Amino acid sequence: MADRMLAEFEDEDAIIAAIRRLRIQGFDRLEVYMPFPSHEVEEAIVEATSGHRSRLPLAIFLFGIGGAGTAYFLQWLLVGLLYPLDVGGRPPHFPLAFVIITFEMGVLAASFCAFFGTLILGRLVRLTDDVQGTPGFESVTRDGFWLEVSARGALDSPERTRQALTDAGARRVEIPGVPS
Amino acid sequence: MSSRLLIGRPSDAELGQQLLGTTWRPGGPGWRFAFLITGGLTLLLISLITYTIGTGIGVWGNMIPVAWAFGIINFVFWIGIGHAGTFISAILYLFEQGWRTSINRLAEAMTLFAVLQAVLFPVLHLGRPWFAYWLFPYPSQMEVWPQVKSALPWDAAAVTTYFTVSLLFWYLGLIPDLASLRDHAPTRRRRFIYGLFALGWNGKATTWRHYRAGYLLLAGLATPLVLSVHSVVSSDFAIGLTPGWHSTIFPPYFVAGAIFSGFAMVLTLIIPVRAVFKLHNVITEKHLENCAKLTLVTGLIVAYGYILEWFLAWYSGEPAELYQAWVARPTGPGLVMFYLSMICNVLVPQLFWWKTARTKVWLLWPLSLLINVGMWSERFMIIVQSLEREYLPSMWRGYLPTWVDLGILLGTFGFFTFLFLLFLRFVPIISLAEMRDMKHEIVHGEARHG
Repeated sequence: MADRMLAEFEDEDAIIAAIRRLRIQGFDRLEVYMPFPSHEVEEAIVEATSGHRSRLPLAIFLFGIGGAGTAYFLQWLLVGLLYPLDVGGRPPHFPLAFVIITFEMGVLAASFCAFFGTLILGRLVRLTDDVQGTPGFESVTRDGFWLEVSARGALDSPERTRQALTDAGARRVEIPGVPS
Repeated sequence: MSSRLLIGRPSDAELGQQLLGTTWRPGGPGWRFAFLITGGLTLLLISLITYTIGTGIGVWGNMIPVAWAFGIINFVFWIGIGHAGTFISAILYLFEQGWRTSINRLAEAMTLFAVLQAVLFPVLHLGRPWFAYWLFPYPSQMEVWPQVKSALPWDAAAVTTYFTVSLLFWYLGLIPDLASLRDHAPTRRRRFIYGLFALGWNGKATTWRHYRAGYLLLAGLATPLVLSVHSVVSSDFAIGLTPGWHSTIFPPYFVAGAIFSGFAMVLTLIIPVRAVFKLHNVITEKHLENCAKLTLVTGLIVAYGYILEWFLAWYSGEPAELYQAWVARPTGPGLVMFYLSMICNVLVPQLFWWKTARTKVWLLWPLSLLINVGMWSERFMIIVQSLEREYLPSMWRGYLPTWVDLGILLGTFGFFTFLFLLFLRFVPIISLAEMRDMKHEIVHGEARHG
């Protein structure tokens, strides 16, 4: 028994109309796959599924502060405490000279967080996933907009769901991994 | 958003075919010829680096007082080239400049390859490059730690951060296009390889949401790097007492020079790429014109930097500074470089006030080359001419590069172009996902305004 169904739509407007329609019919577990980040589609899906904004920015901020703090501490530890060298009469703990490396390491740590955070939260770093084998799904990187309806959203009657998707304007309906 | 950024209204599938197709259409004899030449120059670079390390830094023309010569000139030059790439990909992204979309991938690749050339030089210049790791605070049994109050570890931190962030930003931007290649490239082997790099991208809305947040913030993080990296590089000079270096104008002057030379290099690369791959519909005259305008603006800031240097030398009343700015540079041993940089960096960009020079490639391309030459000469002027005429006249010497210096410089141009040619063959030159997004915005905009 399939736990979800995928439907392909012509363009942004068609999928937005379909999302609104299906939501009224009580399908609340929806997900969209699209070739480029369309703001309108994103808004429609967030509205329909009460999805939240990405929390990535907060993590990036914390990593940046952490990286900068660690770099400052390390500089103080190395040249202020462990190995103080008198260069041009500057004091061992010389904040002005530490600014550059502190800043650079803050940016570096925040960037690592932005990159790996995107991969982790976006569930990337894998060879393939279960929707990828769906017939025709490769159009998602060309011009196809795909809508996924999954279990709790009333898949107990696949025929009804299929009918609802077709009525909403889908040009094809597939069950992941199963040729129609 | 201007419709002049995209000529015609191709469908998404046509756009994909055009922009992804560059990776599987076979390269012609021209590409193979260029590949062989630049491959040869890369081998030259490798041999000369081996020779330098094996024999010692004495094979370069460096001497006392000109202890910083080609090594540091090339370093500053190549790092500078990179700046326009980051400027286009990060700062113009934050300012929502639609015209960056079709040139950002190419400009970022240019940044990566230029920074790769740049990092060679400080390392080789150490004289004993096998100790380069001493710049990083690894747990050392000797308990001798890097001296972070000196400029060298600043460079190490700034340049490695710059390279890493540029690479992450570039790769993150590539992922959706790699997924397109995984799904649409013609052979199974290509699909498999691109599939590995695409990391399982499937265009899920949730993924896009995090992706957009991550990409935007990475752009925000790369933005201060555009300003900081060359400021740090300029501090290498400004904290020294050498006449002509010890000046507070250096950080902004270097940053403007970097973006100036970088935009010239973007034009140098983009004009042939556009012609060879027939990308006139996506890289339009508008793009070239905007690059030329930014070259003009940054060129004016550079010219202001020169004027201020002369003024500050006069205003300081310091004889060595006065002599450096007013006598040594225009009449000293390296005077050719002085006049080259004045002509190419101050006079040449003034032609960009004229629309034909900004839009006609037969004029724009040679002008961009001249600016590249001018900016290399400027770094020669700042570094070599200052060191040739320091405080003690008994120490004055003229500098001449050796064949190894010239060979390494030529080699870095070869290696840079070699990497760029590989980029053109294996990665989509223009960001397809962003182009589709932009096209839809243009189409929607047109629909709204009738």
